Order: sequence, then C-alpha cells, then structure tokens
Amino acid sequence: MIRIRNLSKHYGDLVVLKDVNVDIRKGEVITVIGPSGTGKSTLLRCLNLLETPTGGNIFIDDIPLLDKGTNVPKIRQRMGMVFQSFNLYAHLTVLENLTIGPVKLLGRTKAEAEARAIELLKIVGLAEKVYSLPEELSGGQKQRVAIARCMAMEPEILLFDEPTSALDPTMVSEVLAVIRRLSKEGMTMVIVTHEMDFARNISSRVFYMDEGIIYEEGPPEQIFENPVREKTKAFIHRIRSLDIRISSPNYDLYAIQAEMLTFCDKHFLPHRVSDFTLLMAEEVLLLQKDFSDIHLKLSYSEKDGTLNFVCDSAGEAFNPLKDELAEDDIGLKLIFGRCQTVDYARENNRNILLLKIKNA
Amino acid sequence: MLLTIKKHSSYSIIEAPERVDTLLAIDFEMALLDAGTHEDSNMVIDCSKLVYLSSSGLRVFLLVQKKMLAKGVKLRLCHLRPSIQELFDISGFSTIFPIFADLKTAITEIVNSDDLLL
Repeated sequence: MIRIRNLSKHYGDLVVLKDVNVDIRKGEVITVIGPSGTGKSTLLRCLNLLETPTGGNIFIDDIPLLDKGTNVPKIRQRMGMVFQSFNLYAHLTVLENLTIGPVKLLGRTKAEAEARAIELLKIVGLAEKVYSLPEELSGGQKQRVAIARCMAMEPEILLFDEPTSALDPTMVSEVLAVIRRLSKEGMTMVIVTHEMDFARNISSRVFYMDEGIIYEEGPPEQIFENPVREKTKAFIHRIRSLDIRISSPNYDLYAIQAEMLTFCDKHFLPHRVSDFTLLMAEEVLLLQKDFSDIHLKLSYSEKDGTLNFVCDSAGEAFNPLKDELAEDDIGLKLIFGRCQTVDYARENNRNILLLKIKNA
Repeated sequence: MLLTIKKHSSYSIIEAPERVDTLLAIDFEMALLDAGTHEDSNMVIDCSKLVYLSSSGLRVFLLVQKKMLAKGVKLRLCHLRPSIQELFDISGFSTIFPIFADLKTAITEIVNSDDLLL
C-alpha cells in the first residue's frame, strides 16, 4: 500500500532522514519508536507531504507521491493525521469539527455528514459531547474527537504523531483504547509513539528509527524481546532499566533520586511506589561501606509489574543485611517493610544487594 | 533549616519540612532542639507537609524525643500522611511516639494530659 524508497529530508546541513526504505501493507499497524530527534515525526510528515522530502519517493498504491503530475490533494485525502496537539477548530462544536471536512471536501450533504459524525462519536465514546466546544473537553476527549474527525474523512491510512504525548497520564489510556479499537477494524495505521507497552501490544510491525534510517524493523516480539542490532538493544535496555554509577562517598543523592523519579514517571508507577523507591535508594546507600565503585540498577518489567533495585558494589565481602556493627536497624526495617524480598549475594568479588520493591 | 514555630504558653507547634533525608537530618535536629529543648516547652510537631522521611529523619525524632523526655518535656506528632505513617509503623516508631490525627487533637491532649504518656 505504501512504498518508501530512498527517502531523505535535510534542513540545510542537518540530515534528519538519510535513506528510508520500507513497505507498509494494507491493514498493518506500524508503530515507530526510537530516541528523540531521529526523524520519526519527520517521516510521518513526509508521508502526507506536510514536509517536502529532499529526495527519494513515496508510492501510495504505486502512485508516486512526489511526481509532478500526481494529484496530491486527492492522495492526501486517503490519509488522515492525528497530531500531538489535537488541532481542533476552537470556535466550532464537536459536531461541526467532524462535518466541515466531509461537507466541503467530500461533497457530503449536511445530514449525511452529521449522521456519520454521530456514529463516529459513538465509536470514540463521545456521543454526549456532540454540541460541546473543544474548550469544554479534557485533553483525552479532545484527542478522541480529533481521531473521529480524521475518520470522518474516510481515510484508508491513519497517521498518528505521538497522539498521547500532550496528555495527562490519566488520559492516555482512553486514547490508546480508541486507537486499539480502530486497529482491530483493519485500518492501516502508522503510529509514532513513546508508549512502549502499547507499541508492543498493538503493532503488526515495529520500526525502530535511529541515525535517520529505519535501523531495525520486525514484529514486536523481536524488537522488544530479542532486538538484533546494537542501538536497538541499547534503546530497549534503556527504557526498561536505569543505570547509575557512583564512585565517591560524596554522591549526589538528589540527582540520583531525580533520575529514579523520571524513570518511575515514565512507567506510570503510582506516586506512592515512586516515593518508596527513592527512599530505598537512600537507605541502601546508607548501608554501604565502600563507595569506590557502586552500580545501581533500577528495572521495571511491564509484563508482571515487578520493580527490581540492585546495588552492585566493589570492595570486601560485606553483607549489610547482617551488619552487627550497625548503629541500629531502622534503615533495614524500612527496606524489609517496603520490599517483597531482599537478598544479598557475593558474585565476582562484588557485593550484590537485590531488592524486589513492592509495587502497591 | 528554618522551621515555622508557633509559641503558646504551655507548648510550641513546629511545622516539619517537606523532606528530612540524610543530608537534611542534622539541620532538622538542630532546629528542633533549638526550638524545643532550649525553652523546656512541650512540643507538637505538625507533619502535614512531610512527604519524604528516611531512617536518618526517624533517628532525629528518636533523639529529640529522648532529650525532651530527659527534661520532662512532652513531644507529640500529628497529621502524618499515610506514607509517612506507614514508615512509622514499619519501623516500630508508632509505638514510641504519641501520634495524633490532627493538630487540634494533639494540642488538646498535650494541654489536658496528666503526663501518663511521658
């Protein structure tokens, strides 16, 4: 359905897309993941010519999008795009937002367009908001209206550019649920997202973008469980775990805890859990004797919701769980109280403390 | 560390800060001792703003409690958030400190008590 060949996009000397080659088949749900600034959104914007590619070509059902003779507006109508920032018409009601396109561009009658709009609003769960203005809606509701508005134009392909990035975490799931529902109805979709759990569950294929190319692509099991290439491995590892190195007793506790908080927030862990996780870091560090080489690792498994915290330190064998010289056991009591299990091991001349933090 | 202190005839109310960790514990201890023990005044620590407390902070409460007991002065805690209350429970501190749901109850108790809790 979509064939991309040697696609490139430069802004002056800045090469955002280097050489993108990929095919997208009808009915596929493609998620595009990767670090910021690697061209994910630019690829999407090139697909419907919101950005003009510098080189290469895009074929929609064998029609070359970039050829001068191609009727671009007609091809563009076959693609709908949902943006991060909703882009609804603020002065129009929800119903008018959904009907203005079909009436003006597809030649539908007002009655036809309204009937279809109401159907679509039911699909996205907003039938009762027909006469509301965008300002009366929450972020999640606005994005669902934006999706319904796209659908009203009867597109064959839906492009989503980080559709949940601008949303409060509590509203992400309602938008993802709507996208998931559309995917089950066989709509061809290309979704740029940072929601890894969502990408893993919804995709037929995942594109990992890096260095301006599609660096690795494959089914979600491959990309998330067994990535083949180095940068994909590093990226997947990074989103699942946080590594912090300490080499001095004057470590920056606040910087460490700030990094851990960002990690917890990224995984939507409840505040209560993230607060206790930060506390575990402080308590574990208070138990250490040798600060010359400490490696802290916090990892979260989306599959079973477990949160593991490992303190791997150099130095003589020392089990802080059995420190008879300790001033008191208040710190240990807090650790044991907030962890499912706490274990010590001596491996490769290093002291390993493994905490399974309660995720509740 | 600057603590908000409200002095009354028979007691002082001290507002605990948002955070008492290893780095802030010494300051917190000094500020509490300054505020309370110097004047031998009963003390209510209002913990409504306290959201982060590590073992170092708990040790400060313990130490101040000991010093105040030695002087025959009462220390009461109130308005602990659920996560802080949980830390007091886990560490066994809930049985050491008289903890009250709110400031009003703590004050009433400190004014009316016959020193049984000392």
